[in-house]
Amino acid sequence: MMTVLRIASLLLALTVITPRLAAAQADPAAPANSAAPAAAQAGDDDPDRDFNRSQPDFTVVNLPTTLRLPKFKSAFRVTHRFGRPLGQGDFGELAEDLFGLDSGAQIGLEYRFGLMRGLQAGIHRTSDRTIEFFTQYSLLQQADHGFGLGVIASIDGTNNFKDSYTPMIGVAVSRELGKYGAIYVEPMWVNNSNLLPSELVDHNDTIMIGVGARIRVRPTVYVVGEYVPRSGNTPGVNHGTFGIEKVAGGHTFQLNFSDGFGTTMGQLARGGTASDNWYLGFNISRKFF
Amino acid sequence: MRFRVLMLLVGAAVFAGTAACDEALSDLTGPTPNLEPTFSSIQQEILNTTDSSGRPACINCHNGNPFVPGNFTGANAYNALVNARSFEKPNLVRVAPGDADNSYMVHKLEGGPNIVGERMPRGGGPFLTSGQMLVIRKWIADGAPNN
Repeated sequence: MMTVLRIASLLLALTVITPRLAAAQADPAAPANSAAPAAAQAGDDDPDRDFNRSQPDFTVVNLPTTLRLPKFKSAFRVTHRFGRPLGQGDFGELAEDLFGLDSGAQIGLEYRFGLMRGLQAGIHRTSDRTIEFFTQYSLLQQADHGFGLGVIASIDGTNNFKDSYTPMIGVAVSRELGKYGAIYVEPMWVNNSNLLPSELVDHNDTIMIGVGARIRVRPTVYVVGEYVPRSGNTPGVNHGTFGIEKVAGGHTFQLNFSDGFGTTMGQLARGGTASDNWYLGFNISRKFF
Repeated sequence: MRFRVLMLLVGAAVFAGTAACDEALSDLTGPTPNLEPTFSSIQQEILNTTDSSGRPACINCHNGNPFVPGNFTGANAYNALVNARSFEKPNLVRVAPGDADNSYMVHKLEGGPNIVGERMPRGGGPFLTSGQMLVIRKWIADGAPNN
């Protein structure tokens, strides 16, 4: 019964998404990649295309921001979380391993698309063969309400979306601090966060309240941080991360330090590895508008 | 407004279809797809019967035979396991309610380093799978009720 429901719901989602994708491909007005996101392009009055100094990217590190993706535009992101614990060995050994870059990494590839104004959807795959589908709808904007509010939802599945489905629904609330960054509070409910059958576990859901911030310290340089306290099924440690990033053209380069490898919401619900292990990582994102 | 309502309905439909995602216990328990973390199920699926892996039933030997400790047949089984002192390791009980790690039955079935004699079932396997052991561990963790 549940399999039928899952297939039906995915088909329903595809019927909504597919015509939009087709329309986007047929849109002759879609410009080629631009390296000048700082201003809206001539002739385009969509304010979503304006560069937002407070929210230059669609994620803080892993948590979504409330930045709107313009209609029929897209963005790409690469994530790396290197596997070498930074606390392992002395500084010389760490330097010999180039601070973890010599070790393997959990790599994520992500693509998101603006289905229509305020609505975006995307796919994120990590190298442990987890695939996450996500969507976000911008309900309120700070210009009108004093804060931004987006409804966020995702579902990830292990083994290339064949096993252990973990859906999430939540909201992302943001408050921009002038041109100096933004802070975020993101309560989320993650179902089936435990990979074992519910008959064998005490908790199969996780409530998370993600908090994050991005602070602009130089004209194109930001420091970022996230912490995700949880209740319910809470293996590992609460996800925490901080980093520094540079915005250059349509790119954002971010170097981060995390206590786990998770980048999908299901992975965040399952926690980091251990409290005394931190790992080097980076995100690179590119806006195609 | 109409769009928002539509999106809400789509979202609700998608979420309703996935919100009850869960792994099937039968996928985990392999050769005993009906195994559940209850004593009656464990008795039926593990103690009393063999399974498709060829693992022998426990009561093939633990049946009141005076040369084999523990009579796990029928109504004897629960009291012979739960809070029953181990013959081989008298400082441990076979099943310690709420404490699978200190239950000698778990040690014997998993082949722990401190066991006396052979890992069970004797004869070198097939042994219980990790999924079957998770079910037994869950029953013990829940207090090993006679359910």
